[in-house]
Amino acid sequence: MLMGMDIGGTNTDIAFVDGEITSEKVPNTAGIDAALCHVSRRGRLAVSTSTPLNRILAQECPKVVTILIPGMGLVHGDGVRGAVNHCGDIVEDIDRNEVDRFLRENPADAVAIAGKFSVRNPALEIAAAECARRYYPEERIAQSHTLSVLDFPARVGTTRLNAGIRDEVFRLYSLLGTKRKDYLFFRGDGGLTTPENALRDPSVLLHSSSAAVALGAHYLTGLSGCLAVDIGGTTTDLVPVEEGMPLIRELAFNGERTVTRCVEAEALPYGGDSVITDRLLPRREGNALAFGGRLPTLTDALNRIGYEIGDSGTSISLDRQRAEDVVGEYCSMVAAAVARYDQERIVGCGFLAPFLVPEIARRAKKSFTLPIHGASANAVGVAVSRVSLSLHAHFDGLRGRVVLNGEVGRIERVGDDDELVAFCTGELRRRALAAGAHPRDLDDIRLIHCTSFDVIRGSYRRYRIADIVVQVAPGITAEAR
Amino acid sequence: MTTGLVFDREFLLHEQSPTHPERRERLSYTIDQLREEGLFCHPRIRLVPPDRATREQVERVHHSEYISFLSEASRTGGFIDFDTLVPKGLLDSALLAAGGAIRAGISVWTGECANAFALVRPPGHHARAGTGAGFCYVNNMAVMVRQLQHEGAKKILILDWDAHHGDGTQSIFYEDPSVLFLSVHQRPLYPGSGDIDEIGEGAGRGYTVNVPVPPGTGDESYYHIFESVIAPLAEEFAPDLVAISAGQDVHFTDPIAGLAVTARGYAEMVSRAVALSERICHGRVVAVLEGGYSVEGGLPYTNLGIIAALAGLSLENLREPAMYQDLLLRASDPSAHERVCRTVEKLQGLLSPHWECFSESPGR
Repeated sequence: MLMGMDIGGTNTDIAFVDGEITSEKVPNTAGIDAALCHVSRRGRLAVSTSTPLNRILAQECPKVVTILIPGMGLVHGDGVRGAVNHCGDIVEDIDRNEVDRFLRENPADAVAIAGKFSVRNPALEIAAAECARRYYPEERIAQSHTLSVLDFPARVGTTRLNAGIRDEVFRLYSLLGTKRKDYLFFRGDGGLTTPENALRDPSVLLHSSSAAVALGAHYLTGLSGCLAVDIGGTTTDLVPVEEGMPLIRELAFNGERTVTRCVEAEALPYGGDSVITDRLLPRREGNALAFGGRLPTLTDALNRIGYEIGDSGTSISLDRQRAEDVVGEYCSMVAAAVARYDQERIVGCGFLAPFLVPEIARRAKKSFTLPIHGASANAVGVAVSRVSLSLHAHFDGLRGRVVLNGEVGRIERVGDDDELVAFCTGELRRRALAAGAHPRDLDDIRLIHCTSFDVIRGSYRRYRIADIVVQVAPGITAEAR
Repeated sequence: MTTGLVFDREFLLHEQSPTHPERRERLSYTIDQLREEGLFCHPRIRLVPPDRATREQVERVHHSEYISFLSEASRTGGFIDFDTLVPKGLLDSALLAAGGAIRAGISVWTGECANAFALVRPPGHHARAGTGAGFCYVNNMAVMVRQLQHEGAKKILILDWDAHHGDGTQSIFYEDPSVLFLSVHQRPLYPGSGDIDEIGEGAGRGYTVNVPVPPGTGDESYYHIFESVIAPLAEEFAPDLVAISAGQDVHFTDPIAGLAVTARGYAEMVSRAVALSERICHGRVVAVLEGGYSVEGGLPYTNLGIIAALAGLSLENLREPAMYQDLLLRASDPSAHERVCRTVEKLQGLLSPHWECFSESPGR
């Protein structure tokens, strides 16, 4: 049994794939507990969520202060003392009093800590985090070394982002953890990761619902190329699909680069719960009238033009002419966005897709498909995805240390690149199988990154330092085919 | 406009022996530093892939017989001198380095990039028309200059500030007035040439300029040389392009030279070269990596300094780790500056018959 769960802003979609597909929708007002009650204790559970992204879209992120430890080199903003070099040596120590003074003088809701070359030696970041714990709870502290990628400016951007959403991911982690330990989070690049890795780098969850919709649209229709149009409660997401997979891009946040890769998706800030005043607003304030809310929404407008969604009689307070105008305005806006894509066919996903996508397609001059279970395409996509874990490995022969996805271990000898890649591939295979991967999915393990150099001491090569990233290629699991 | 960065992982393959100072770690440490600084994704930096130089391009500088020798020795392994062995596959590496220099030069000449840095190895400035020497096989700088002249450049200024005299480049252009070769180097040091009275011959007389400096020379003296020799000559020569043979063994941590230039000083020199080129040749500057053997304490910071200066990024935080300050003190010779000033004065006098800018020189 493959189970997928997509926690959205309004509902939680659940899909079960076991020869045939079944799906359910549970309103979030009932709580995550209620959704989890629908999930079987047996089988693989994968979870995607748009709640961290919704927080960003709603500009509700906490205020983040950043402790930079930039060392020598280019200027990346004001920072505190301390430096690590490319070999991972601490060449200038941190001044804890300076860090403490900085934290006192710059109060905020969360803290990001980023040091140059911290992926080679995290000691200075860890020391700064110890100071920060006097002012912030653990879930509001993000460090950059756990990102395992050399690119300081992008790590700074990612760490600031993580500081802003980490407590939300921690909340989900805690909620889910009370019911099940053996679940996986679905990443924004279409892969799966363990809950612990998601806590270390919560940014990987951003746009995971969109990535899930792309996989679900492909799985439900068999179309290898299409544009998935997912009409949710808070947003309408447009997700291009090519060769059965979403397109992947580098995520940017507040104008800064990040190290995170995620699905190429366009989020229009309007959905079924968007409030109507004199016009449709890019804002959600609870459910539609038809689902017990206080204010009329796009869903109520659909009821007023003849559909029967929820308790449709409660939508009557919305003026019919205004309802027609709002639905027309919404369809035109989405159609204009859809028309900019090359894909000829759109696949309607989400609960409201059957009511809106035909008109959107007509206005955009595209063909459309409304698959069965399209209302839960996101959850289906999560359910059928591969356990495409990735492994970030850092080998440090100088210190006899290997760091695998942020976990520090010992190593006797750092071999040549081929040996290290073979080691990482084997370790990734072992971890993926333990997490429930289908053995055939592991035929496609990709080398994403491999760099190494020798540390010279007294004219001789003394030690090797290497960084390797391998990943089980994302896609649909053999178990679901 | 962007700064072109010519690099290819194949530049890491060449190796004479595992303990030879001209080792692949000269670049691998630097590449990690650049990656961590985010320079490969920086909007002002464009990564430019090199093409291998053709035999025709290389033979504009080198004798055909020498290239044939390199070709043959590259199949079996060979020997030029005790510093310059020919490992198997050498010619491919050398042609890629020369091609990298050409690619950097062309990217600037055509306006694809405002300026460029070729992070190539093996280096080239000791290679003469008929032989290699001093870790060098093909003279990357000379091959680039001849290619640019083939593309239409009339006059080129070569500024060679490797710690070792660029004897190969000097010999190639010694009688050529279309190339002003200007070398600042430590003396005494390998190869032993580069005294101030080596000023060119024939039509090229006055177009070779050597500024030998004593061990212990530091930033202040290099700035003085720049302002009192390099800048006035460059303004009068009015080249179409400034090409820098960017040897980085002037850094105070270098294990085989004895100078005392800092990473910040080095970046400041490039910054001045950029400003100078903006005045005289539309900002066209191409730097080509030559020597520099301090793989850990020097090259990551000096290479970064060159790129930061070319791209107009802040140099404020460009420095070595504080732990190296004792080394700087030991490498510096406070008396060197006065001797450099005397050399400069004498040189200006020697060059005064050839250059208007020195006609009023006190050393005349």
